[in-house]
Amino acid sequence: MSSSTADVAQHATPPTTPGPTPARRGALRRPPSWRRAQHRRPWLLLSPGLLLLAVLLGFPLVRVVQLSFQDYGLRELARGEDNYVGLENYREILTSSFLWQTVLPNTVGFAVVCVVLTMLVGTAVAVFLNTLPRTWRTLCLTAVMIAWAVPAVTGTYVYVWLFDPLNGLVSTVLTDVGLIDRGAVNWFAERFSFYAIATLNVVQHGFPFVAVTVLSGLMTVPRELYEAAQIDGASAWRRFRSLTVPILKPVFAVCTILSTIWDFKVFTQIYLMPGGNGGNPDVYNLGVWSYIESFAQGRYGMGSAIAVLLTVILLLITVVYMRTLFSEEEL
Amino acid sequence: MTGPAALPAVPATRTARRAAGRGLRSDETGGRRESRASTVAKVVGSIALVAFAVFPAYWMLTTALDADAATRGSRLVPTSLTGENFARVFTDGDFGRFILNSVVVATATVAISAVVSLLAAVAVARFRFRFRTAILVMILIVQMVPLEALVIPLFLQARTLQMLNSLLGLVIVYLAFSLPFAIWTLRGFVAAVPQEIEEAAYMDGASWGRMFRSVLLPLVAPGLVATSIFAFITAWNEFIFALTFMQDSELYTVSVGLRTFFGQNTNDWGAIMAASSIITVPVVVFFVLIQRRMTSGLASGAVKG
Repeated sequence: MSSSTADVAQHATPPTTPGPTPARRGALRRPPSWRRAQHRRPWLLLSPGLLLLAVLLGFPLVRVVQLSFQDYGLRELARGEDNYVGLENYREILTSSFLWQTVLPNTVGFAVVCVVLTMLVGTAVAVFLNTLPRTWRTLCLTAVMIAWAVPAVTGTYVYVWLFDPLNGLVSTVLTDVGLIDRGAVNWFAERFSFYAIATLNVVQHGFPFVAVTVLSGLMTVPRELYEAAQIDGASAWRRFRSLTVPILKPVFAVCTILSTIWDFKVFTQIYLMPGGNGGNPDVYNLGVWSYIESFAQGRYGMGSAIAVLLTVILLLITVVYMRTLFSEEEL
Repeated sequence: MTGPAALPAVPATRTARRAAGRGLRSDETGGRRESRASTVAKVVGSIALVAFAVFPAYWMLTTALDADAATRGSRLVPTSLTGENFARVFTDGDFGRFILNSVVVATATVAISAVVSLLAAVAVARFRFRFRTAILVMILIVQMVPLEALVIPLFLQARTLQMLNSLLGLVIVYLAFSLPFAIWTLRGFVAAVPQEIEEAAYMDGASWGRMFRSVLLPLVAPGLVATSIFAFITAWNEFIFALTFMQDSELYTVSVGLRTFFGQNTNDWGAIMAASSIITVPVVVFFVLIQRRMTSGLASGAVKG
């Protein structure tokens, strides 16, 4: 959601003006005090924001790393003292089969499937919207916006309701068809079906960002290019492969990486499904595991170590993201 | 499809209009070779897309209005409509209080973040200074940090400072999440205002402060509205921190308060979906609203500048 608006703002930015011409600069000559104020001004303007970010993001990040090296539980919390144990938490996490057989496959597999599906659906929708006449496109775009706007919390509850084993839509339809007995199957209990529902939820909520971003990219491609290709006898698929994909490569790259980051740290959608808040360890991902270790088990040091692990993975993806972004535009 | 829009605005009977439409279309097909098959594909595609996109929201709203919500099963349209589920949310549950809490938290977040982020955005968009790029990179990176990593240290800190169970504590935390995005977005809006207008204001003898108030502020107002709405939605939707910080049910925000409608064994789906609808509808309205606002504000800013 966030970066699309940032992109919109970027595209609308006119080419930066080269600054005042020499003649005008002469007319605007100011006393030295004014120039000095001009020098200090950006820092004055930035200071409230930077202060808030340092206290609320910078400090906690340092603290969570500190905590990850500690056996920090309710006792330490009550006494307010540190209890360093070195790399013990990391050793415990990295040698546990629970990480390698359950949590990591859940996190990575889920993210990969979600990203691929989100990109495919989003791109297909964008290409489709681009062929529609204006009124129809506006109508469809409004529908897409609604899918985007539904909050994660309420959207997840709708899926829980849709797949409710007793009275949900899916269970009722399958019972009527004769495939299952009402209430006999609980999709949330099984790891695979649990994540299938979560995938549907996340893709349905995530494709609008890709669709809208790719669509705005598509609209900047000059129509003449497609007309020329059409005259040369290129098929629709060929035009997509040889024109759209190379031109929109940076847009696809940014969408993919942002989706990857978001899908790696999905929390609410898992936590709010039955069993996701601690009842069923089979369905934990890194975020949920970290939260439950901390707030359900009271092992804050352990939870911090898991959180640091997740952050490092996301940071690596972010580095790739920055590389892509910086080659595209000047800050 | 293009028929009705392209027709002349003379009153016509339905058959006459249809005939005219057909004539027009056959003219067009001669030129553009748009086959009937592709028109059908577009209609079917549009319907499928709208259905896929809107279905969860539709199911939420119709369940909320259904008199027999719990046994709805696969009924696509409720048999009888009722406001009973909505009423129950306010009488049995304490949803009115949750809404009030959320509104207070979100409004305070918006107000503070608007001021702070606008100042910061002007700094990075208008001035060249040391560490500017470093600050921009930091603002970008910070957005990637998972909330799960922040919630542990901030919880422990808030506990020490006795800020748990306080709406103010929540506001402060939400500020941190909405700021990076707001600064990043507003920076684009500020940069879109041509430097020449500012120069013109200086030429007329305006001080920097006066220029900021009378020139820059009105021009970036649409951007400010848009980022404010995003900040509002962020605070309104946020779940992890509200869940962790608010242990007193009097102070629940809407997204956490929703959990109170889940029973031990059976769930009152009518009430849950009614409460969900109350949370969702304002967000959807805001969202559709600013999408238009963002683009129109940008366009007029770019042209008039």
